[in-house]
Amino acid sequence: MQNQDASETSVQTSEVDDWANFRDDDILQQQSAIVTEEAGKIPFLGDKEPLTSLAAEYKSGSPILLEKIKLLNEQYAAIRRTRGDGNCFFRSFMFAYLEHILESQDRAEVDRIKTNVEECRKTLLSLGYVEFTFEDFFTLFLEQLESVLSGNEDSISHDELVQRSRDQSISDYVVMFFRFIASGEIKKRSEFYEPFIQGLTNTSVQQFCKSSVEPMGEESDHVHITALSDALGVPIRVVYLDRSHGDKGSSVSVNHHDFTPVACDLTNATSASGSEAVKPFVTLLYRPGHYDILYPK
Amino acid sequence: MNQASRARLFKEYKEVQREKVADPDIQLVCDEANIFKWTALVKGPSETPFEGGVFQLAFSVPDQYPLQPPQVKFLTKIFHPNVHFKTGEICLDILKNAWSPAWTLQSVCRAIIALMAHPEPDSPLNCDSGNLLRSGDIRGYQSMARMYTRLAAMPKKG
Repeated sequence: MQNQDASETSVQTSEVDDWANFRDDDILQQQSAIVTEEAGKIPFLGDKEPLTSLAAEYKSGSPILLEKIKLLNEQYAAIRRTRGDGNCFFRSFMFAYLEHILESQDRAEVDRIKTNVEECRKTLLSLGYVEFTFEDFFTLFLEQLESVLSGNEDSISHDELVQRSRDQSISDYVVMFFRFIASGEIKKRSEFYEPFIQGLTNTSVQQFCKSSVEPMGEESDHVHITALSDALGVPIRVVYLDRSHGDKGSSVSVNHHDFTPVACDLTNATSASGSEAVKPFVTLLYRPGHYDILYPK
Repeated sequence: MNQASRARLFKEYKEVQREKVADPDIQLVCDEANIFKWTALVKGPSETPFEGGVFQLAFSVPDQYPLQPPQVKFLTKIFHPNVHFKTGEICLDILKNAWSPAWTLQSVCRAIIALMAHPEPDSPLNCDSGNLLRSGDIRGYQSMARMYTRLAAMPKKG
């Protein structure tokens, strides 16, 4: 039997050995374990909460934020939170868009976006993407789109949409679909996006797409939002809740920015319907580093 | 849940059969009993110390594939800054945080060949190898790498 001292030494050396053998794989595994643990705490998508829950969060926080939340209350009724896993913009967009279709039953919009999705497929192919690497993600999104329209065999209810958005095997696939769409759009119009990307990260367009758009869990910035909005032709309103003073001089105001898709190119005849600014039906709340869904009154 | 990954791997399997001729430097083989296990033989790129060698890689594909990357390691001993000398583990961004489903097992092999030709000594898993390059001792690095290529990656002359 070993005495106390000996066993302590052996523990020490084995720790050193462990350290020497500590591999990237272990780090990745540990990281994914942490993610799984966090996942138990917050679902991909929360329940709809009244805006008062936001105020409660900042009860003892910055007076500017409290003032802004008061202002938000005038226009917005509720918030739906998403998990802060780096995919929150895409996931918020997914749910807000599909929920809008489910509630509006806007078939014209569904037809319109399908045309855009088809364009995106061609874009990816022309960029040299191998079809089988992205087709499953496209198929899954189109299935969700069909299912929120009523009168189909596989039509779903609002509850079911919430559940699917919390189901990783669906939710993450749709998020990945949007990442493909955004990446394709950025590469297709690289001369347009290049200066924005340079300003953001000082990397090339290719490198930016490879390391900041396509990988799951990489956070979104205005470049991603612009690209997704342009590619799908869906306007997005982002309301900013931060500590900056608003535009209007000394009094506090809440800024928002509308990402309005560029007028579709002339070859795309089906969507040449209007160049007038469309009111966004997807509204997101941005707090530095995170996006949630906002519901107007 | 692994239905999606299975279906995807099957597509890759078919693609590999078709690409065999197109990419003679890579021979990617699926385990007959398990589509989540693959091995690959890749040729050391020319004009590198690995030229003439054939290196075996082992792929282990997770259930969450292609949302998560495959785990890949060298089975053949290789002296390279970004490959762990003992375990064969590879330090390559697309196998870690820059993975995306746009990659395939085949294109991962191509990326590994590119890494063999263009080592990144600033993120070394093999510090000895990385230090040789970082100190500018290209000749030392190349002769060590070539020696291990001869010892481990070339068929013994009989």
